[in-house]
This record gives sequence, C-alpha cells and structure tokens, in this order.
Amino acid sequence: MNALKHNRYRNAIALFAGLLFTSFVVLQVNSPRIENPPVTSEFHGPEEVTRILKRSCYDCHSNETNLRWYDKVAPFSYKVAADVEEARKRFNFSEWDSIPKADQEGKLWYIVNMIDAGRMPLPEYAATHPNAKVTPAELTILKNYVTSISHKHYAAGDTAAIVGKPKVTHTPTSINGIPYFDDYKNWKVISSTGRPDNGTSRIIYGNDVAVKALEENNILPWPDGAVIVKVVWNSQAPDADGNVKPGNFNNIQIMVRDAKKFAATEGWGFARFNGLDLKPYGKTASFATSCINCHQLAKGTGFVFDIPTRVVR
Amino acid sequence: MKSLITFILATITLAACHDSRKLTPAPETIFDDNGLHVITSFHNDRTRTISVLYGNDKALAHASQEQFAHTPGVATRGVPTPGVATPGEVFKLVTWDLKQNPLWFGSNINGGLQTVETVTVSAGESGPAISYVLENPTQKNGKNAVSSNAERISFIFAQRASVFP
Repeated sequence: MNALKHNRYRNAIALFAGLLFTSFVVLQVNSPRIENPPVTSEFHGPEEVTRILKRSCYDCHSNETNLRWYDKVAPFSYKVAADVEEARKRFNFSEWDSIPKADQEGKLWYIVNMIDAGRMPLPEYAATHPNAKVTPAELTILKNYVTSISHKHYAAGDTAAIVGKPKVTHTPTSINGIPYFDDYKNWKVISSTGRPDNGTSRIIYGNDVAVKALEENNILPWPDGAVIVKVVWNSQAPDADGNVKPGNFNNIQIMVRDAKKFAATEGWGFARFNGLDLKPYGKTASFATSCINCHQLAKGTGFVFDIPTRVVR
Repeated sequence: MKSLITFILATITLAACHDSRKLTPAPETIFDDNGLHVITSFHNDRTRTISVLYGNDKALAHASQEQFAHTPGVATRGVPTPGVATPGEVFKLVTWDLKQNPLWFGSNINGGLQTVETVTVSAGESGPAISYVLENPTQKNGKNAVSSNAERISFIFAQRASVFP
C-alpha cells in the first residue's frame, strides 16, 4: 500500500517535471526574436554624449539591440522583447529623424529627465545589466549637452511684438471633451515658470478646489474637480538687465481632475489649445497617453509638475 | 543564486528609496491677488528671481496700450490718455526666488515670496500722485534696494501686458 502511494507520488513528480520541461522547451522554441532593422537616420551628438547613450539606451531604443545570452532565455526573453518593442515605439535613436525636428530637442530633455529621476534605464534592466547605468558624472555631461543646444531658442528670436488680441468667437473643445474657457483668468496663480529647455515662460493657475488641495496638502490624490491651467508664451531674449519676458502666446494647457472619467490617465484629463486661434491638440484621444507618460515623473505631487513645493526632510 | 536575488532586491529597494523628490506643497508662496488681473510675468537668471505683475482694470488697460511708453505725466481730466498715469491705477509687482523645478531639469519655478511692490496712482492737486510701497515679506536684503523708487516706478510702468487668448 505504502509502496503504491510512493510510486504514485514519484509518477506525479515525473509527470510534473516532464510538463515543466516540455513547456520550457516550447517556450524556448516560440521565444520571440528581436530583429535589428536597418539604421535609417542615426542620432548625431558629441562623441562623449553618443557614447553614453549607446551604452545605456541603445539596447532598447535603437535598431542596434545587442542582447546578452540571458536575455534570450524564456521566459525572460518575452519580457525583453516586449520592452524593446515598446522602447523603439517611444523613440528610436536609429530612426531619429522620424521625430519632427522641432520635437527632437524636447525628446532629449525628456530622456535626461527620465535618467535624472532614476526611471531610465529601467531599474530591473539596470540591475541585470549594471553596465547600462548612467553615473552622476555622465548625467552631468548629458545635462550640459541639452542645456547647450537649447540656447539656440533665443537666437531664433521668437520675440514678435505683442499684438492686439484676436478674440476666438467659438469655444474650441479637445477631442476628449474638455472645452477651452476664460474663467481661469479669475483664478489664483499657483506658480510661474521659466523654461530654458524649450524657451517658454509660463503662468499656472489653480481653481478653488486645486488651491484648497494645496493648502490642505491633499494632493495624493488630488480631489475631483481640481483644475489646473497653464498659459505658455515663447520667451523673448533677455533684456539688458537679464529679464526674460514673454513674447508670442504659444498655447494653453488644462488638467481636469476626474478620477473615474480619466482613470486611464491616472485620473487627469489633459487638453491643450495651440496658438491664438486655440487649435485643440491631439487627433485621437490617445494623445493623453503621451501626456501622462511624461507626467509620471511628477507622481510624488499627484502627477502635476508646476506646483509650489518644498522638500520633505 | 541567492546572492543574485539579494542583489536584485537590494538594487530595486535602493532605486525606490533614492527619491530626493519627496515634496510637500508650499501654499504660503501663493500670492493673494484680491481680484487683480495678471498683466505680465518675467524671470531673471542673474538675480535668480521670477515676477508676476498684477493690476486693476485701469492698470491692465494702460499696460495693454502698445505705442506709448507708460510714463507719468499730466492726464486729461477723466479720459485715460496713452502714456499718462491715470488716477486709480494700482500695480502690484510680486517677486519670488527662482529655483530649479525639482521635478524637471530644465525648468525654473518660483520658490519663496521675496517682495511685493505696489504702485498706486491717485489724483493729486497738480496732476496724478504716484505712491510706491515695497513690502519685504522675508525681510531679505532685497535686490530692489539698489534702485530708487522712481526707477522702480518707471520699470513697472514700462511693462507691456502679455497676450492672452
């Protein structure tokens, strides 16, 4: 009786091991292969910059993916393949010109900020590929680089004289249903920013719900009904005293808090209206995905970048 | 194997703890405008300050005029004249420290409130009377101290309104 039981037990283990081995083999056979399509328009930067990017970013964000043997073993290979596919979709250093010229600088600032925040290279990737880590000294090189290229904004001289205000007669509405409105002009300014990275000056307004949330430190999460409006101007070149004043109106951005309605984007609805004719930004509702992807960097302040803060010690 | 797992766990934990971005709201820096309009804003990398100029209806109207420098002069009674200070105008220039946004390298944001400068134009016996008051909430040695009141008044009067949609 005992022997029978023992035998059954042994058979079960053998069967289980067999199953496990078979699925392992099947997984290996079906393991995704990562192809390296041709490099069509490579990113060009100073040598010390491209060296860092190549080592830390290119395994996923380029067509020069160089996988280690352990990246190719299932089940890890599935995760690696999915990550590379997603990474190339976000941006690809081998197809750099697929990003409009005007957006390339912004993308570089975004890359530097993702590294600065410790979000890139992905922590789990960096743990298994220690060589990919960006050292503080290297981060400084990258920061200096993006800072140096962005001074060009001033040279471009986007400083047209302030002109009369052509009033928009209709109410433009974003594809996700958020309409433009004028009432923010009666709200409190919660912060103002100067952006050397993209040559803009901004004023950020909050409605009563948003201001109250700040006063009560109730922003994790922000309460429903909070609305934040950001007005963006192109910066003029500094005057003789160093004052950088707003020039042309650029766009207006609105964040509306509704945890249920905008659950897919962390509870925030995004809208942007470009130019004085307030053209709604975004052809499909999915534009908000790229908004929240970037706003993830401000997770600690409820996904809002421009609020007055102090560091918790 | 065990050490590898420990290494991975440690790295992930370290990555999670390495968060100098633990921030809390600083609502005390929000200026109570008491219903004034935003006229314009500007920042200065040399003085590391950022400012917003507020004003009442009359102040906004004057800052929105294009061709005339807004210098004090004699106003035609009752009619706002370009380039002339009109009784009733109130300007408030609010200045904060400028600091790097802890959440975005490449953006500078206002920090603590530094000064509030108020310029009020009232009707005097022989033309508009202009008063200038400097409030220094932080009692810092304000950089404005080097300029005379007249210079600050001219500076504030010279600001053009930002274009809003």
